[in-house]
Amino acid sequence: MKIFSKYTFWIIILALLFFLCLPFITPYKGLASQMLVFAIFAMGYDIAFGYTGLLSFGHAAFFGLGAYSTGLSLIHLSIPAPLAILIGVIISSMIAFPIGYLSIRRRGIYFAMVTLAFAQMLYFIAFKWRSLTGGDDGLHGVPRPPIGPINLSSEVALYYFILFFFILSVILGIRIINSPFGKTLECLRENEQRARSIGYNPTRFKLISFVISAFFAGLAGGLYALLQNFVPLFSLSLDTSGDIVLMTLIGGMGTLYGPIMGAMALIFLKDLLSTYTNIWPLFLGLLFVVSVMTFRKGVFKELKERLLKF
Amino acid sequence: MMKKMAEFIIVLCGVLFWLVFPVRAADTVKVGVVSVLSGPLATIGNGEAWSAEMAVNDFGTVLGKKIELVKRDHAYNPGVANEKAKELYEKEKVDMIVACPNSAAALAIAQQALLHKKPFISTSAGTTDLIGKQCNRYVIKWNYNDYMLATTVGLWGAEHLGKKWYTITSDYAWGHDLLKHFTAALQKKGGIHVGNDMVALQTADYSPYILNAMKAKPDVLVLLNVGPDTTNSTKAAVQYGLKKTCKIVHALLFEPNMKGAGTEIFADDYVAGSWNWRVDNPGAREYTEKYMKKYGERPHFMAAAVYSATWQYLEAVKRAKTTDPEAVIKALEGHTFRDMFANPGYIRPEDHMQIAKAYLLRAKRPEEVKEKEDYFEIVGTVPAEEAYGPAGQFGCKMKGF
Amino acid sequence: MDYHFIFIQLFNGLILGSIYVLLSLGLTVVFGTLGVVNFAHGALYMLGAYTAYSIVTLLNLHFIVAILLCPIIVGVIGILLERFLISKLYKLPHFYTLLLTFGIMFFIQDAIKIIYGPEGEPFNIPKFLDGAVNLGFVVYPKYRLFIILITGFLAIGVWIFIGKTKLGAIIRAGTDDSETADALGINISRTFTLVFGMGAALAGLAGVIAAPTQDVQPLMGMNFLVETFVVVIIGGMGSIGGSILAGLIIGELVTLGIIFWPPMSTTLIYIFMAVVLIVKPRGFWGRAAFFE
Repeated sequence: MKIFSKYTFWIIILALLFFLCLPFITPYKGLASQMLVFAIFAMGYDIAFGYTGLLSFGHAAFFGLGAYSTGLSLIHLSIPAPLAILIGVIISSMIAFPIGYLSIRRRGIYFAMVTLAFAQMLYFIAFKWRSLTGGDDGLHGVPRPPIGPINLSSEVALYYFILFFFILSVILGIRIINSPFGKTLECLRENEQRARSIGYNPTRFKLISFVISAFFAGLAGGLYALLQNFVPLFSLSLDTSGDIVLMTLIGGMGTLYGPIMGAMALIFLKDLLSTYTNIWPLFLGLLFVVSVMTFRKGVFKELKERLLKF
Repeated sequence: MMKKMAEFIIVLCGVLFWLVFPVRAADTVKVGVVSVLSGPLATIGNGEAWSAEMAVNDFGTVLGKKIELVKRDHAYNPGVANEKAKELYEKEKVDMIVACPNSAAALAIAQQALLHKKPFISTSAGTTDLIGKQCNRYVIKWNYNDYMLATTVGLWGAEHLGKKWYTITSDYAWGHDLLKHFTAALQKKGGIHVGNDMVALQTADYSPYILNAMKAKPDVLVLLNVGPDTTNSTKAAVQYGLKKTCKIVHALLFEPNMKGAGTEIFADDYVAGSWNWRVDNPGAREYTEKYMKKYGERPHFMAAAVYSATWQYLEAVKRAKTTDPEAVIKALEGHTFRDMFANPGYIRPEDHMQIAKAYLLRAKRPEEVKEKEDYFEIVGTVPAEEAYGPAGQFGCKMKGF
Repeated sequence: MDYHFIFIQLFNGLILGSIYVLLSLGLTVVFGTLGVVNFAHGALYMLGAYTAYSIVTLLNLHFIVAILLCPIIVGVIGILLERFLISKLYKLPHFYTLLLTFGIMFFIQDAIKIIYGPEGEPFNIPKFLDGAVNLGFVVYPKYRLFIILITGFLAIGVWIFIGKTKLGAIIRAGTDDSETADALGINISRTFTLVFGMGAALAGLAGVIAAPTQDVQPLMGMNFLVETFVVVIIGGMGSIGGSILAGLIIGELVTLGIIFWPPMSTTLIYIFMAVVLIVKPRGFWGRAAFFE
């Protein structure tokens, strides 16, 4: 997939420039940070969905777990932000093991529904456990402790902090996909019987892929908690899970860059549209319909393929 | 191909740049309205946005500067409200945010107000946390709160409607807060709370809860919900004949929602309110007629509250001779005013609650409704101090400045 | 333990169950035959309610007219959607119809909001079905009995149609093996269109029937959407009997939850689904899932 030609070098430079300038282009800096957060989430999701074929409707569970864990650690434990994020990531990855283990036995849409069920149960627990999570008020007062001399209260500084994790995630994602492990995932997605006959244990690979995607979801969640200074219950909701599926599909699944751009575009569009009109769901719906009918494989994937034909 | 990609990105950046850089006329006073502008509760939000617009237009200029209004939709979602508040304070550089129904959303905006050190006047959320453990000096609570709703109707109702009360509560922060205050108010007047049901938000079928209620044989059924949940629960109560044996009391009832549901189902129900267009305040009639002429319907009390809050903010700016947040807040603390909404209204410095007389309203039967939005009859009033209770009773420790 | 009261509540659970059955019938038929995850199903349900409102209140016709006409109208809308949009995506992986129907749902809901306004429309029980009937153990609203009866008829009707008629056999053939069916000369694309229209009509009918008991507003379909999917999964994709049974069970389960632990009542659905899927991976009587 990635052939190192001089084109790739220029693309990377351009992309870097774009991301470095982004907070100054978007309407407000927080939006740029949000775009990156969901880009990380979507990219991780694509590893499970696009590359392994695991359609999960419950990934908000891991996003939310990361967000609440990070938020709670920051509030109660007075630790530096990176450590809190690490806690968020660890917790969401750990919980992904049992959930994944129980869900993966099922296939296709049934798998999706089981993941949905688990996410709803987590939502319910967070809703009821008001003393811990704030219930549907959300978790307020998540601080942004400075890292050495860097003051994270500034939105710009926070953006670059998030950008650092974003770049790390992308590098990590690319390495995973290009590794033998990644290739095996694609093989599984295409034809599980054959993979099994060659001697691979599909369950184990699927589980690891699932946990990896939960890892990124948890990372995104932790960063989100920092960004918002609060964790809304909405982070665990079905809408959030649905959003990430849409972002991945719209961008083009199985490409890594597709979901990243899909996520960024969707966040940006939602904000832009809702600012200018009350009937933004109409436009969003229209957008989905049009983009699915014209760009069958996902907007950015098709754009790339068409551009490459020149 | 690379050139095309590069061109594409450059053009995109250019478009974004042009599109999103705010063209702000030098020196205006900007007011931001964050409310629910989509979904079934949009009737609340639209009224608030319209009212804010009217207030800004009617006021004209302040300190020689024009007044601008910016609206944002939070879609009844606290996370979105948080983001919109950030956007308004940071990018749009509003001087003040007003409105925001949904208690969790209001709490989120209150936090942002503290972080950005700019005022937020919360007119539409009920939670007493805003004047309690989550209070801060940049937030002023206008209009009603859950304690006032419960106390007004609880005290009056326990005396006039009956002693045995059954509650059906929407299972989220606001519902819980209301329930807490209702049970407290009931106990004061010797009422008996015979049972409660927690119902998930947006439940369509209330029949099991109505059946539960009927079993307890209450004198009064209290519906602690809003919007579609109010409609569904009331419809179910009517269908099962519960209304024949007991009175219904609501937490909140809005004219547009009543019209949407069909006013017959609310006949002879009771609710507390801070305002109604028939109220005899200076300028209330003019405000109502002007609003009706412009928007085709008479305003509900949330809309009126937003008008008043926006107006009083601008007056405070005039008094303080600056838009500096600390000075304006100080100009509002302890201030007494008379306008179309409150006659008088007083902003308590201890917890920043704006208090005024509270009204007991009875929903009219269809045959009694003589004109548009004439859905309520004022059957009683409760003085401000009694309706809102003692200042600072929710443990507010002001932080901020 | 007030058994009398519990019995009344359980009887009442049949109402909720009936709505679930009506909604899931349409969804499972489409799911099972076309492999389409129709997110717009809730929006079609809402359209049924709104067309009923328009017919009864705006045109001042009898409720019976609405019951007969609205499913046809919504069915036609469904057919148009399938013909012009959905069918174009059959060759692609099933995720794309998911996205498409999602977009359609947004569009329809907001369009209705723009046309009719967000606050909803009043819709009361038609006079001839108003009032209550003494069933011996409880005095029960006539209209809710009507719901149970109609759902019963409909469920049986759909079962007979799919199971016993020639057209039903064609549909089943198309579901089991569309290529072979096509090779045998059956017009598959027309069959698919018909099935989708049927699913839409069923959703629309559910909307008409539910309208008098609920708040008729543009987002009313969202209340049921996820639960309907759960019911279909529990019953098994494509299984009509499964949908009926699962719908009724879920209706009762939620009601039981309300009696014993209200906050948990909706979560019970998900727990039940997880349990069923662990024991029976494809629901009660489901067939091989798409996306496998």
